Amino acid sequence: MNDIGSSTNSEVTLALTGVSKVFPGVVALDKVDFSLHSHEIVGLVGENGAGKSTLMKIMIGVSQPDEGTISRDGILISPKDPSDAIRHGIGMVFQEGTLVPNLSIMRNLFLCHEPGFQKLGFLSRRAMREAASRLMEEVKVSADVETSISDVSPAERQMVEIARLLWLSRLYGQKHPVLILDEPTTVLNDGERTILFDILRNIKKEASVILISHRLQEIVENTDRIVVLKDGKNVTELPSANARISEIEQLMVGHTFSADRYREDEQTPAGAEEVLRVENLGRRGAFEPISFVIRKGEIVSLVGLVGSGKEEVCRCINGLENADTGAVFLKGKKLLMGSPNGAVRAGVGHIPIDRRNDGLALGMSVAENVNLLVMNRLKVWGFVSPPRERKNAKVWVEECRIKTPSLGTMCANLSGGNQQKTVIAKWLSSKVSLLILDHPTRGVDVGAKEEIFRLIRKLAREGIAMLIMSDTLEEDIGLSNRMLIMKDGRFVKEMACPPGKKPGPRDIIDAIV
Amino acid sequence: MTEKKTAVAGEGPGTAAARRGRLRIPTLSYAVALLFLVGLVFSLGNGNFITGYNLSTIISYAVLLLLVGLGQMCAILVGGIDLSVGGVMSFVSVSFVIVVQVIGYWAYPLFILVGILVGYLNGILLTRIRIPSFIATLGTGGIFMSLAMIVAPVPVNVPTPKWGYLDIFNGTFLGISNVIFIGLLVFLLYFAILRFTAVGRNIYYVGSNIKMSWMSGINIARTRNFAFILSGTGAALAGIMVSAVQYGCNPYVGSSYILPSIAAVVVGGTALTGGTGGAFNTLFGALIMSVLQNGMNVVGVDQYFQQSILGMMIIVSVALTFDRSKTPVIK
Repeated sequence: MNDIGSSTNSEVTLALTGVSKVFPGVVALDKVDFSLHSHEIVGLVGENGAGKSTLMKIMIGVSQPDEGTISRDGILISPKDPSDAIRHGIGMVFQEGTLVPNLSIMRNLFLCHEPGFQKLGFLSRRAMREAASRLMEEVKVSADVETSISDVSPAERQMVEIARLLWLSRLYGQKHPVLILDEPTTVLNDGERTILFDILRNIKKEASVILISHRLQEIVENTDRIVVLKDGKNVTELPSANARISEIEQLMVGHTFSADRYREDEQTPAGAEEVLRVENLGRRGAFEPISFVIRKGEIVSLVGLVGSGKEEVCRCINGLENADTGAVFLKGKKLLMGSPNGAVRAGVGHIPIDRRNDGLALGMSVAENVNLLVMNRLKVWGFVSPPRERKNAKVWVEECRIKTPSLGTMCANLSGGNQQKTVIAKWLSSKVSLLILDHPTRGVDVGAKEEIFRLIRKLAREGIAMLIMSDTLEEDIGLSNRMLIMKDGRFVKEMACPPGKKPGPRDIIDAIV
Repeated sequence: MTEKKTAVAGEGPGTAAARRGRLRIPTLSYAVALLFLVGLVFSLGNGNFITGYNLSTIISYAVLLLLVGLGQMCAILVGGIDLSVGGVMSFVSVSFVIVVQVIGYWAYPLFILVGILVGYLNGILLTRIRIPSFIATLGTGGIFMSLAMIVAPVPVNVPTPKWGYLDIFNGTFLGISNVIFIGLLVFLLYFAILRFTAVGRNIYYVGSNIKMSWMSGINIARTRNFAFILSGTGAALAGIMVSAVQYGCNPYVGSSYILPSIAAVVVGGTALTGGTGGAFNTLFGALIMSVLQNGMNVVGVDQYFQQSILGMMIIVSVALTFDRSKTPVIK
């Protein structure tokens, strides 16, 4: 393994050997080996449920392995918790972020470690300021260190977290800090992404980085070596320099991908019946009045950058926000504005972007989540019937291919892809006529993505109208019948996407920016 | 590997409970086991504990706790708390004693209605005026407590000629005290509402994830109002019962039920964070609390020391029955 990648001449700084971890009902990790050299960026890839997060959690001491060892610069360690791990120079930047929003950058940087700045028993603000400014320079953050975290961009927050981890490693005298970044780019725009990777390359002089991402493109471009996990086992590792994305995908999923991943050949033309009619819908400060129509079985993609107003348009249609002007009609009936209840009753479904917080009752079972919207249909003589509940849940769990040990399994125990399928199942069982999909494949692995695409096509065939906002332009183009492009709160262009004659991303980018 | 797998799978009460579905048997089984253990200790400690007379005392207190606890449970399940149960109990019990002498049996529906209205008021304060339930019910609880004092500054009694109106609670049927039937009836009512009605189910959804519930079109205000109505009703029923079995009462009676009502809910295994738990949990919680309180008297534990034992037992029993795996953050 030593001859792999560009890190041939550096020694192994972190090594996990034969690590296993078993959770009730699942073997999360099965004798996994992982090594990280100093001054190296390693990409860790695998489907949801492949064991990436469990492996990370073991490294930072959130969970302990059932078997196997962890060694740091040749010495065995067993981190008890994240604060113990950081003493060994291992730290993680979480997907959700772990900073305190109402404290300043400086306070967050040195949180819980302020005593180092004490002079005569009082904290020296000046010493803290100086140290913080130096750190912020390293990660190219120009904001004043007294700015409160809630006022800085997601990109800068991430930089602050990285700087904090670097500083802590130095504080504990670690020569080769290990930074773990879990999906760092999901919240970033293109420019910020470039800056992040510039900084990571710069940090490489001092530290090693483990990068987890579903965006294989950025993994290939920015890492030295790629480690592939599948079903809790090592599959392979390969140097990034000559890795091909299709090859990695194949390794992750275990089978080859169909060239037609968006199932274009299954795309059906829009029906004649009008399902959604938006008339002059506008919201001051968010988007200017817009009108459009979605027909039966039609997939319409709303395309635009962050701030283009597309999110707000959707939020007005499903009642989460109230519009200032205009009206929304579903199958000819005017929707009550500003009321999710009204929208849901009329038949508007909504797959939210943040499924964990907005889409599911995580502490409740799969069956309870699937049945949420249809309680009234599961009644016999006015009372909810448990056999009907089970039956309905079973039908939709099978229909959406939710992988769960049982109907009573708590949703918190499912993988991201299966949680997403549970959210979809919930709406499908309620027989919606319009489904708004807000980034349906965000944070979902390749295999689950395919299943979600399959479901979307099936829904279109069954006549459900869909309004989609996607993670990538490619996905928008591939899935939709028609695209509505928005820019700076204005509707700018409509494009047809018939199968076989899809426009390329380049045709659209000009309109977006 | 497979051996290991089964070993781990058997360990976590939470995950096993989750797999078996809504009844959450393992959590409950801890509560049941605890009840038997506590009962056994007291029976061995003093022969009088298990006598018929003493058992009826235990049951009587347990049913009172059950009535107020079932209501409290609904408020907790929906993600709130109801501190007004004490005030409501006091107000209802003294007013009931006075009014039952005048209007007879009509006093029963009248004061159940009072409970419903107070619960609705609590709900409105939370859902319309947006005051957290902890504060809102602390306020209404205080108001009703003082109303109780104004209505009856001293203990009031039902005169002997009117005792017939209270036979509903004091009679027996097939040799079993009516109190048990009443407790069972109310228990079944709450169980059925939570388990078999859409609005009851919504209480769980709202308590579990309020934002998701809102986005899914659940009427949050109506669900919360309903949960607090159930809570007010439970407190009113307990207020009626406490007067009926004693043929009178003092205006302070409710204040000693606020914390025990919460304890009965939590000891049974319902999470204070909302969304998990149920009527069966509260049934056993009420029984445990009642057996404890009575048993300590029978065995002869010092009055002042009882409070600390009760406090310790709450901590121990919650440690056993509370399903931590369902709540990522313990507040």
